[in-house]
Amino acid sequence: MKTITSCLATIVCLCLCTFSAFAQTPQPTPVKVDSETISGLGARNIGSAAMSGRIAAVDAIREGQRLTVYVGAASGGVWKSVNGGTSFKPVFDKQPVQSIGAVTIDPKNPKVIWVGTGESWTRNSVSVGDGVYKSVDGGDNWTNVGLNNSERIAKILVDPSNTNNVYVCTPGKLWSDSDDRGVYKTTDGGKTWIKVLKGANASTGCSMMSMDKSNPQTIYAGMWDFRRKGWTFRSGGDGANAASGSGLFKSTNGGANWSELDQNSAKGLPAKPWGRIAVAVAPSKPNVVYAFIEAEMPKGGLYRSDDNGATWTALDRSANMVWRPFYFANLIVDPKDENKIYKPDGPLIASNDGGKSFSNISGGAHGDFHDVWVDPNNSDHLITGDDGGLWYSYDGGNRWWKADNLPVSQFYHVSLDMDMPYHVYGGLQDNSSWVGDSAYPGGITSSRWENMYGGDGFWMFADPSDPNYIYAEYQGGEISRINRKTHESRNIKPLPLYKEGKLRYNWNTPIHLSPTGDGTIYIGAQFLFRSRDHGQTWERISPDLTTNDPEKQKQEQSGGITVDNSAAEMHTTIYAIAESPKDPNLVWVGTDDGNVQVTRDGGKTWTNVIGNIPGVPKNVWVSSVEPSHFDPGTAYATFDAHTFGDMRPYVYRTADFGKTWTPVVNEAAPVHGYAHVVKEDLVNKDLLFVGTEMGLWVSLDGGKQWAQYKGDEMPSVAVRDLAIHPRDHALVIATHGRGIWIVDDITPLRSLTADTLPKEALFLQAKPSVQVIPAGGGWANGDAAFVGPNPTDEAVFVYYQKKRHIFGDLKIEVLDSTGKVVGTIPSSKRRGLNRSTWPMRLKAPQVPRAATAAFGAAIGPRLLPGTYTVRMTKDKQAYTTELRVVQDPRSKHTADDRRAQFDLAMKLYNLLGNMTYSVERINNVRLALEERAAKLPATDPLAIRLRAASAAVDDMRKKIVATKEGGAITGEERLRENLADLYGNVNGYEGRPSATQVARADVLAHELGDIEKDFDAWLAQELAGLNSELTRKNLETIKLLTREEWDAKNAQK
Amino acid sequence: MRRVLLMLAGLALLAVPASAQTADEIVAKYIKTVGGADKIQSVKTLRKLGTFNGGGGFEAPIVEENKRNNMVRQEFSLQGLTAVNAYDGHTGWKIEPWQGKKDAEPLGEEAMKQIVEDSDFDGPLVNYQQKGNKVEFLGMEPVEGTDAFKLKVTLASGDVRYYFMDTDYYVPIKIETKRMIRGAEREYETSLGDYKEVSGWYMPFSVESNVKGNPNRAKVTYQKIEANVPIDDTRFHMPAVNASAQPGTKPPDAADTLPKRTDEKKTPAKPPTKP
Repeated sequence: MKTITSCLATIVCLCLCTFSAFAQTPQPTPVKVDSETISGLGARNIGSAAMSGRIAAVDAIREGQRLTVYVGAASGGVWKSVNGGTSFKPVFDKQPVQSIGAVTIDPKNPKVIWVGTGESWTRNSVSVGDGVYKSVDGGDNWTNVGLNNSERIAKILVDPSNTNNVYVCTPGKLWSDSDDRGVYKTTDGGKTWIKVLKGANASTGCSMMSMDKSNPQTIYAGMWDFRRKGWTFRSGGDGANAASGSGLFKSTNGGANWSELDQNSAKGLPAKPWGRIAVAVAPSKPNVVYAFIEAEMPKGGLYRSDDNGATWTALDRSANMVWRPFYFANLIVDPKDENKIYKPDGPLIASNDGGKSFSNISGGAHGDFHDVWVDPNNSDHLITGDDGGLWYSYDGGNRWWKADNLPVSQFYHVSLDMDMPYHVYGGLQDNSSWVGDSAYPGGITSSRWENMYGGDGFWMFADPSDPNYIYAEYQGGEISRINRKTHESRNIKPLPLYKEGKLRYNWNTPIHLSPTGDGTIYIGAQFLFRSRDHGQTWERISPDLTTNDPEKQKQEQSGGITVDNSAAEMHTTIYAIAESPKDPNLVWVGTDDGNVQVTRDGGKTWTNVIGNIPGVPKNVWVSSVEPSHFDPGTAYATFDAHTFGDMRPYVYRTADFGKTWTPVVNEAAPVHGYAHVVKEDLVNKDLLFVGTEMGLWVSLDGGKQWAQYKGDEMPSVAVRDLAIHPRDHALVIATHGRGIWIVDDITPLRSLTADTLPKEALFLQAKPSVQVIPAGGGWANGDAAFVGPNPTDEAVFVYYQKKRHIFGDLKIEVLDSTGKVVGTIPSSKRRGLNRSTWPMRLKAPQVPRAATAAFGAAIGPRLLPGTYTVRMTKDKQAYTTELRVVQDPRSKHTADDRRAQFDLAMKLYNLLGNMTYSVERINNVRLALEERAAKLPATDPLAIRLRAASAAVDDMRKKIVATKEGGAITGEERLRENLADLYGNVNGYEGRPSATQVARADVLAHELGDIEKDFDAWLAQELAGLNSELTRKNLETIKLLTREEWDAKNAQK
Repeated sequence: MRRVLLMLAGLALLAVPASAQTADEIVAKYIKTVGGADKIQSVKTLRKLGTFNGGGGFEAPIVEENKRNNMVRQEFSLQGLTAVNAYDGHTGWKIEPWQGKKDAEPLGEEAMKQIVEDSDFDGPLVNYQQKGNKVEFLGMEPVEGTDAFKLKVTLASGDVRYYFMDTDYYVPIKIETKRMIRGAEREYETSLGDYKEVSGWYMPFSVESNVKGNPNRAKVTYQKIEANVPIDDTRFHMPAVNASAQPGTKPPDAADTLPKRTDEKKTPAKPPTKP
């Protein structure tokens, strides 16, 4: 070891020498701030699984008798269950993307999992992926095996005859041309890939693929020509009869050659042009092939071939078959019955007659279905995923059971109120607008979230001027003011003037509350509206602030073959609104077509400052504007160019009301993903947060360095919005795919600066620690329910270490105002920020040993609010910080009440200690009596007398403690049990104890005193005589255990 | 300055790139860092005295005793009652005294698996081949901001542990454990720190563990670890049925602290030590 020690010393010396050498240079490199510097400040994920979120793909396999399920969330990673869905764990959280398009389990080896990233249900809010991932150990570890530029993947097929042969169906990029699309094949388990089927043009990729598993060389692929722009979408060409690259293809030699199946080559197929195509071979009878073909009505619909694709028959073309093909184009045939087909659509529809007719089998599920898994052993057992999560049916789709354990909720925005604990508000993709508790006794179950409105939800606020009301909206600016208790809602959307035509409201229409808190509210169409009377009247305070480009206003023609004008493509709209906290007349507006407009006179005049922002691509979305809390001229803005195929983050700052702008995220920064939101801290102007499609990024120095926040394994999920609680200093993170995450106190980040980072270790200021009202709650939820954790109810302190602590002690103690150590705490060891907690309690009282444990007395009294000192000793260096402990602001107890409670708890605490001494004192005598007796012949009169004395003494002990053994509920109560119960009750309520409790404390003290007196009387009467008899027999006399001896013994412990 | 740079270059060479590492090299460096095989082998018994911290102010003294080759006894005390989990190389047993039943009972499947793992005196990496364990180097993975070598250790039982070894010192800073219980995986995480020397062997004095993904951690801090203290084998054997439970003896008294009579079964060589 000596060698190693000296070796280490050399390294340390070298580093020091090096440091001093570099210290001579004028500008030392700042300490690197990376993910782990900041992520020790953990976050808690409060869900919710109540509304859950969109599921894109499902696969399952039996391992023995048990069902293993893999679920691909649209933007929330991959989840695995090994018990048929009773419990899930996320298995993809360490990967850099969370959008999933396809999940396929190797049919020969259930430990091999293929995941295609990038969802293929290409709605306007869809995320992006970065290729194919493979796990060979059931999802523990993943490797990206290629196709990195595919952006999205619709299907992966594994050849069951040789599982190294894998086919990937990739639609490819949604927003831009690309050659990285089509059908790819590997023959070496993913090491190398070749494109086996190419699209007709740079916007045509593979939309669905199916294999004849009995003859895996036979593959069908639907090729799809598609493109989305901010203002339009086409499935197929630009119009019902425009040229399209879409087509259906078949290979019978493992993808080496393909023949196109169309009107000419395969009788019965409709005339082109086509849009999105789904195809499925019936597993039980592979000559039966189904294809859903999007084509101009009445040509579009379901087609069936009974001869391996040679000829086709047109079947169902009901509304739910042909609705929104870009979002619903999947067919699942029952594994055993070729005539039973499922078509996920708005509703889930099913046919039992080979596709002639379909019924809606959605039952009580959410709707907007995307995938179905049918149990090959039991066709009644189905698993489906839709926009509202995952659902199970055990009766063939008649009824559905909701998975309440997938917190993959897709928030667009978040806001907070000033309740205690505060509530979290936000709207979600196809999942309305919800209010949830940020904390609740027992944890945040699904029932602690309440739906307040409908449709797709976006911005949502409590009305600060009347907290009985909430503002929420659904798509296209349908804003309502909603009564929180009755749920009565009143639509208050600003409406067009005479002959004005349409007001252009974005899908995700911005609503903004004035930071003045006076209830002023804004909403943006192409004009900005302001209301000061809860939406009763609206002032139009701007001209059209957009480019008003008529080419981007043709939504009635959007959709390609199937018109789809749902407000999702509404463009040339206002997308961001922000009133300056420093000046209510200073309002910023960002539009989806690239304008940044500012007024400094409450809307009388507007200036478009986009021309002053160098480097921002033209006409991109201004995704957020954040006016500074410190200086009226300063503002931040994010720009999102992903709808032009540019996924880079653009974040800028102005300090002169928009005249000049500088990038806040420079090109070298590790930030990636298109930017949704920027927030400036409320206290430290250099502390910035940026949410992108790939996660949350933090800068401690005004944008010079950035680090991804990954506290508590928060994955690289889209961060759409952020809110900082002004009272609680919590950062609330709205993710689009993994619900709400909360960093309970960001105060420590505020003091992590260039000055503090180079230090070996230091404490960072945290907010005062609240003694949360002790309260129980919740009940057994089973294992199939998600429950969001509460913030800790312990005192929190935060320290920073430049390096992980590995060798030697890292000791943390808490001292009271007199310098007495009142707590010793296990320390966290990580590099960067560490968060440790102290329960604010004394050690548990001493309790006499009895038949059973008295759990009510297993914890000590909670100390009174006040100022404590935390002392950290790291190696030999000591660091201290002040810890302020305050009463729960909700508590109605006065300081005197609390003091009375603490004093009574301490009285009982000490009484338990006295009782323990009394019992030990009795036992000490008993032990001596028995020990001396054992040294005498059993029939010796003294031995008999000693044993009788022991029994007499033991009777006294048994008046103090319960002694019946056996493990049954004996109900035996003695003074100890009564006292421990009373202590537990007084300790558990931090208000004034009841008079009954106060009196009972005295009663118990009195009763204990009586027994002690009896024992003393017995000693006075018997001990001298016994001792003289012992002396006569040359045996040691019996000495009493003194309180001093006993205390000294305890101190040693 | 030039000299410093040269030395720095030398240092950089010392830092072997991850790809050049093998599992055996990492394990060898670990063993060397913590004291070497001789020092480890010279330790025949260990007694660890510590504090269990379960959060919310719940603390309890604990005692862990290990004896070569594979005996272990773990005690957890509250209000004078002591729970025991122990294994003598053949039989795993427990005493759960909290509700008034003090008899030794056999360990259930999960606790048994755990204690058999805990009975491996010097851990699964030392002499791993002899023990039938398999070690693979999976590459680098950061642990809470510190670069770590990730080793996959497949125990002879088939259960898997991932060891995350600090890249400067080659000691484990985190262990992920998977145990198959009734056919289902149970996953745990353990963080290790405060390594200190005990008879020439560096061991962690701070151990935090939790069910994987659960933020509630059980934290153990050892105040004292003693090596080569005499520990009688009887401490690890499952006690016979309590004499007091036999017919004709006095009524059972769970609260009785008196030592056993000399005519009863042999007393332990040393009474349980409380910290």
